[in-house]
Formats: sequence, structure tokens, C-alpha cells
Amino acid sequence: MRELAFKWVPALGAAALLCTVLLAGCSNDPYPPAEGKKVVYGTVGEDPHGLDPVQAGDTLSGGIIAQIYDSLYEYHYLKRPYELKPCLAESLPQVSDDGLTYTIRIKKGVYFQDDPCFTKTGGRGREVTAEDFVYAIKRLADHANDPRGWWLLAGKVIGLDEFHEESVDRAAAEEEMDYGQPIEGLKALDLYTLQIRLKERFPQLKYALEMSYTAAVAGEAVKYYGEEFVNHPVGTGPFRLKEWRKRWKLVLERNPTYREEFYPDEGEPGDAEAGLLDAAGSKLPLVDEVHYTIIGDAQPSWIYFKQGYRGGSGISKDHFAEAITLNKELTDEFKRKGVRLTKFPEMVVYYVAFNMTDPVVGTNRKLRQAMSLAYDTEWRIEHFDNGRSISAQGPVPPGMFGYDPDFRNPYKQFDLERARRKLAEAGYPGGIGPDGHRLKVTYDIGRPGPAARQFALAFANDMEKLGIDVDVVTNTWAEFLRKTHEGRLQVFSVGWILDYPDPENFLQLLYGPNKAPGPNASAYDNPEFNRLFEQMKAMEDTPERLEIIRRMVDIVVEDAVWIPSTHSVSYILHHRWVKNSKPHAMTGGYLKYSDVDVELRERLRRQWNRPNYKALLMLAGALALVALLLAAFKRGWPAGSVRP
Amino acid sequence: MMAYIIRRVLYTIPLVLGVCVFTFLLFDVAFPPKARAVQELGRHANEKQIQNLIHTRGWDKGLFWHGEAKGFERLTDTRFVNHMKKLLLFRFGRTQKTHEEIGRKIREGMVPSLTLTVPIFVLGLVVGICLSLGVAYFRATYLDLGAVVVCVGFMSISILVYIIAGQLLLAQYMRSFPIYGYAGGAHAARFLILPILIAVVKGLGGDVRFYRTILLEEITRDYVRTARAKGLGERLILFKHVLKNAMIPVLTRTVLAIPFLFMGSLLLENFFGIPGLGNMTVEAVANGDTQVMAAMVYLGALLFALGNLLTDISYTLVDPRVRLR
Repeated sequence: MRELAFKWVPALGAAALLCTVLLAGCSNDPYPPAEGKKVVYGTVGEDPHGLDPVQAGDTLSGGIIAQIYDSLYEYHYLKRPYELKPCLAESLPQVSDDGLTYTIRIKKGVYFQDDPCFTKTGGRGREVTAEDFVYAIKRLADHANDPRGWWLLAGKVIGLDEFHEESVDRAAAEEEMDYGQPIEGLKALDLYTLQIRLKERFPQLKYALEMSYTAAVAGEAVKYYGEEFVNHPVGTGPFRLKEWRKRWKLVLERNPTYREEFYPDEGEPGDAEAGLLDAAGSKLPLVDEVHYTIIGDAQPSWIYFKQGYRGGSGISKDHFAEAITLNKELTDEFKRKGVRLTKFPEMVVYYVAFNMTDPVVGTNRKLRQAMSLAYDTEWRIEHFDNGRSISAQGPVPPGMFGYDPDFRNPYKQFDLERARRKLAEAGYPGGIGPDGHRLKVTYDIGRPGPAARQFALAFANDMEKLGIDVDVVTNTWAEFLRKTHEGRLQVFSVGWILDYPDPENFLQLLYGPNKAPGPNASAYDNPEFNRLFEQMKAMEDTPERLEIIRRMVDIVVEDAVWIPSTHSVSYILHHRWVKNSKPHAMTGGYLKYSDVDVELRERLRRQWNRPNYKALLMLAGALALVALLLAAFKRGWPAGSVRP
Repeated sequence: MMAYIIRRVLYTIPLVLGVCVFTFLLFDVAFPPKARAVQELGRHANEKQIQNLIHTRGWDKGLFWHGEAKGFERLTDTRFVNHMKKLLLFRFGRTQKTHEEIGRKIREGMVPSLTLTVPIFVLGLVVGICLSLGVAYFRATYLDLGAVVVCVGFMSISILVYIIAGQLLLAQYMRSFPIYGYAGGAHAARFLILPILIAVVKGLGGDVRFYRTILLEEITRDYVRTARAKGLGERLILFKHVLKNAMIPVLTRTVLAIPFLFMGSLLLENFFGIPGLGNMTVEAVANGDTQVMAAMVYLGALLFALGNLLTDISYTLVDPRVRLR
């Protein structure tokens, strides 16, 4: 039978060779050919929530909606501190002396993108008028649209709250809202003038008019697409949606009827040196298409970055050591590739909150101070954030008006001895309470998963050093919110990402009337703080305002309502071919500024993704070895059978 | 036979109803409306909005008795009846996040799923049977023993290891395939080769062992001895006589699997980013979209019943001795 076995050898060898040749011919390029277009490639972690402006509640959806829809205002791309500039408005709003009437002129000659919903013009987009903003804001107030941003204008505009109340009742009765009814404080004075009248001073209105919630929406599109409107955005922005396949990809393309907008010619000092002004005066957008792959897992999107199939990337904890050295610099591998690293403090505060209505921790200030003193932030930053965060001292994050980098929270300096003394003063010497039992607190986290759990266990560990027992409870986000609403939490960990660059957005987390179900999850209610808050929120950024904010921070710090934990700093990587990238804390339509050097990108991609011929040869060798082994085999015969 | 099929279809009715009730208990009763509403509305939601969403979704109706309705509707306009209606009439409603019709999503998701599962199924079957024939041909040699060892090894390793090793070796180290993603049309092949390869290799261990056992059982039968006695070659016996007869047990195993091809593969689709039904299910679980989950569980049950029916029918086709009554 040896002949038979040997006959297989050429066949097996040929198969091995074929496999190898086929593999060598394969490419790991995940994209279809660009066909001469200038395309920016990126990845997102999940599908957006939907592309309806009133639902732009999360940064991901909001970030994509802002490329398609324009609002009245936008942030300057380069200037810091963040500065508003007109987008669809002609100029910043004219505010009456009492601060209650806003008059806004709207640019003429701005058109919606072409879309079949404009049946009267045969699919050509029509001109934007002030009525479109009135309509958009009414949509934001209409409960039937499930708006994520109603809180922004609730209680602010004359007549709008009544509209909202009616919409709630109508939604319950499953009736539609009448958008034709006039609202006293929200009027289009003529085709190009919008007037908003407020119940109370609200200087943050200008920020609200920057957010996608109040972007111009065409009523035709809402009617035409009905429930599918979330999947068919029709805006005035630099891009329009080309294709969105769920859990696969989302592609934006240049809006061919986009108005004349140009790249800014001034920024902050250093921008010119960084090449951020090279494109000054170019017509926007600078690229033809933006291609997002939806990748649910951190590992593949990291590899996409390393292979050059996406231009920029953050760094997850798992990949940190691969990219960043102990000195917080790029590793040699990434330096060789020409990757750029940008460190960017986010306007976020993570904190441990006490429920102030809780009979144990809520009533005992010294107990809270003691727990705060035993909270080891430095250890956390080192072990959980790879050393990238800033230790928080109060509720206001860096980069925000009212943040004082020199301020030190007296109860946030890790000091176990002092903490133990405070705990004794609080009536729990060594953690033993007046009833003779060890103090026990529950610590709730709103995110399942090992990372959140480890973080919680670190808290338990810190408190154990004081003699306090901590019972860690893991909840889903929904359960956690429900417990917050019902005031059933005792100690819990949360974070807040800003909505607009005004400290009011952070201090409102401690304002009494914002108690659950509002964002004041601690249910902190201090009359002095409330009074200062009301005074501060209607002020412009003046030295007096700064003084009031300092006093407010002092009050919450002394009351130890929170243990402020960290403000995160994100590390952002970019490949060499990415141009005009500058991190921005606010969500907005910044894709129109981004540009790529396509020629460089293609060259580097080819260089980095050549098939690994050495490995292919080894594979071919291994296959050939198996073939030889098989060939050397002699067929045995079971006893009793007949040899053919 | 027709009568048998009708009877079998009738048998599946209690199964389907049972699954409907089960999904109701699982997704409607065990997961309270308030939790679902809060999850959907996000961080700025107030009590009134929550109550309202609950009302518009009809979650405030009674489970089995809706007191506020009129007349007979008290019994028919309940959460239970509405849930049953939805599933039984295939009106799955819309997804929570993007308000898409679930029915359409399922039809769309089936295509990428099938491009993945059908090649895995066909290749797995062909390669598995070929290899097991080879192993049976070399039975009772070291090669056979070696094959057993290798097969058991293959069976014992989790598919996750294959996926990670495959991605690391073929996609990352050899740079032959994209690590993740999908494309339409002919471009899909680039993304599918690696997951198909992994799934086929992973399936081989169990399949080869199974087919080999069946083949060896057949080889000891009388008709094989007769065939040898009349001087037929060993190869001819194996490929013509034994293979045909061994197909009966093979069929039971494979036909049962056919309907499930439509459901896609949870793990592979998730790890390789193939936008099929498996991925959709995982996503629904992550988002807490109970509508989608209920629809998928229900479809799974229907397909299972269909698989069983097809298996029974295919028996009669391949083995004339089997008759359905």
C-alpha cells in the first residue's frame, strides 16, 4: 500500500502551496475602494441612539447629528477657552436689558440638503427660515418625540411649559400635538428673525442654542419619514447620511448644497506652529466622505488603529502599556510609526456621593469627612487610570470657569490618622457605633463588569482601614437610576460629563430643588448654597461670579456631600496623515475641519500591512511536513479482513 | 405522510404557545416596566416622563386583567394578550433605540448570517465526512489513533480559543485577513474566510469522531463482508456502499441544524463584526431591548420545531424501511 500513500504527496503538497499563495494574495484592508474620493476612516463603539436632533442625548449620537444638522451657534474650533460663534444665526443674540428677550437674526440663503421629502420642489432642499427653529424647539418640548433635551429649556421660555404639559397629556391620549398653535415666548418675527422670551434670566440659553437639540429641522422630513425619521436625517450641515447599516457601518458624505463656510484663520497661541492654521480660508468640508465602522469591542478597533485603518484612537486600559511608557510618553514602536499623542483634560467629574437623606451618613457630617479623608485617590489614579487623571478637589472640573488649580479640599488629603480621629469625633471610634456594632454602609455602583467592581472593592478596602464595613452592590444602570429616584442609595459612585461650558452645569448637581428625579442624586439641600446658586446661575463670567462659585465650593466641601474622586485626562493618538485635529470638550460638528494626507496614508498602510512572507513560508513548511508524515504511513489491516 | 405532517404541525402548537408564555414571563413580568422605561429615557428623565412612556407602551395595563378597559376588552386588552398577539402574528413591533421594524431587521440580518453559516455548514459536512472516511480507511493504525487524539483535543478546546488564536495568527501576525468588519457583495469573502475557517476547524473534531464511529459500525455489517467477498475494492466499498448507509444517522444530525443556520452565530458574528442575527441578539441583550429578545427566542423555538419535522421527513426519504404513522 505504500504506492497509494505516496500518490497523495503531490496532491497534499500542491494544496499546501495553493493555500500559501492564496493567503499571500489576501489583504487585510477592511474597506471597499475609495474611488478617488477623500475619505476619513474611523470607528465607533456602537450604533448611535438615533439621528433625531431631539434625541442627541449621548456624545456618540450627538456627535454624528452635529455633522448633519446645524444649530444657531457653534463653538469656535480652535479658540480656548471655548467661544461661541454664529452658525446659522447671523450674529450673537441681541439680549434686552432685563436679559429676558433674545432676538436672533438668521442667515439668508441657507438651504436644507436635497431630499425626497421636499415634494413641492421636486426633492430640492428649501431655504431655512426662523419658523424651522420655532418648529425644532416645539419638537423638543413635545413629549411624544421622547426628547432627551427638554430639561434644557424646561421652566425657561414663556408659554413653552404649557405646550409641554399639553403634549404630555396628548401623548397619554395618543393624540398628536398641534404645532400651529402660537407660543408667546417663541416667535418668528419675520422670515429671518427669531425671538425668544424668557420667564427668568438664563444666560446659558446661548449654549442651549448651540446644542443639536435646537438645530433647524424641516417639518416636511418629520412628516414624510414618520417613525423612521431617526434613520433619515435631513439637515443643513456639511455632511449628509449616505448609508447606515446597524452594527456594521455608518457613512457620511459631503452635502453638495452646503453653504460657503471657510476654515478659521485664527486660533489660540501655538495653533499656527502645530499646523492647525494651514488650511485657513479653505472651503469646508475638507473631505468627501467619513466612514465609520461600528466595532463593539476595544481590541479590534485598537488593531485597526495599529494597522492604519483608522486615523485616531483613544487608549484603553488594556493597551496602555503598549502605547505609553512609564514617563507618560509614547513607546518607541509608536514613535517609529510617527504617531502623535495629545493629552486632553476632559470636563468630567467622578465622585462618590452620600445620600443626604440617609439616617446614618446623611446626618453625620464628621462621618462623611472621615470617609473622605480615608479615600486614597492617588492609589486609584495609579492603578485604575494608568496615572492619567487629575485628583478632584470639588465639583468643578479643570478648564471650566471657576476651577482653581491651587485649591485643596481639606478632607480630600489622604490621611488615615486624621480620618480615624474624625471618625471617633463622629461617634464611631474604630468604626464601632453607639449601639456597639460595627458601622456598615452599602456602596452601589451603576455598572456591572469587573472594572467597576474592582473600583468599588477599592472603596471597601479604604473604609475597612477605618473599621467600616462596606457592602458593595452591583446594579444595572436602570436599577441604579431607579434606586436614585426612590432615594434608596446610601453611598454610591457616579460621574457627570458637562452639557455646556458653564460651571452652573456642575453646581446644579447639588442644588436643592434638583433633587431626585432631578440630577441632584445626593438630595443635598442647603439653603445658603441654594441661594448662592440662584444668584450665580444668572450671572455672566465676572470676578463676582468667581467669588460666589468659590463660596459654593467651600460649602459643599465642608459639608462633604461628595468625595470628589477624579477628573479624567484622555490620551488621544493620531497617525501622521491626520490633519487639523484638535480635541474639543464640547460635542459639535467638527468633522468639517478634518483633513487627511491620502497619499501618505496609502503608502504607510501598504508598508505596515504587507503579508508576512516569513510566516507564510513557515505555514507552507508545516503543511508539507504533515503531508510527508501521512505519506510515510502504512495502512494496517484489521484481523480477519481480506487484503484487496 | 400528509396526515403525519399535519399531526406533527399540530404537536408544535403547544410548544409554540409555551414558548410565548415563557417569553412573556421572562421579558414582561420579570423585568418591571419602570426599570425598562428608566433605561430607555436616560439621565434627565423625570417621574412624569417615565409614567408616560410606560403608558404609551401599554406597560401599565394589567398582566391578565385590564380594569380600565370596557367590556370584553378587559380580558383582551392586557399585556399578556398583546404579547401573544404580537408573537403569533409575527408583528414584532419596533426596536427600542432606532424605531425600526423588527421584522424587517430580522430579514435584513438573515443575509449576512447565511453568508456565514451556510458555508460553515456545507464545508463542515464535506470536509468532516471526507476526513472520517480517510480515518476509517486507515482504521486500527497509528494514524487512526493519532486522529482520535487530535479530534478529542480539538473538541476539548473552547471556540473562543480558536477565535482569538485565529485572529492573532492569521489576521494580526500574518496580516492576511481583516480582523473585524463586513462588506456587501463580493467584498464579504475577505471578512468571511477567517470565521468560516475557524468554525469548520472547530467543528471537525466532534464531527470526524462522530462520522468515524458511524462508518466503523457500518463496516462490520454483513453486506460489507458480502461486498468484500465478491471482490470489490476497499475504496469502492467505503465510498459507495458504506457511505450511503451511514448517511441515515448523519442526516438526523445535519437536518436538525439546517433551520438554525438562519439564526446566525452569536459568538462568531460578535467577534468578527458580522451584522447578522446573532450579533443583533447580543446587541438586544446589551440594550435590554426585550421586544427583540422575545422575537428571537420565539423564532428559535419555531425553527427548532421545524428542524425536528424536517429530520423525521428526511428519514423516510433516505430509508424506505422507515414509515411515518
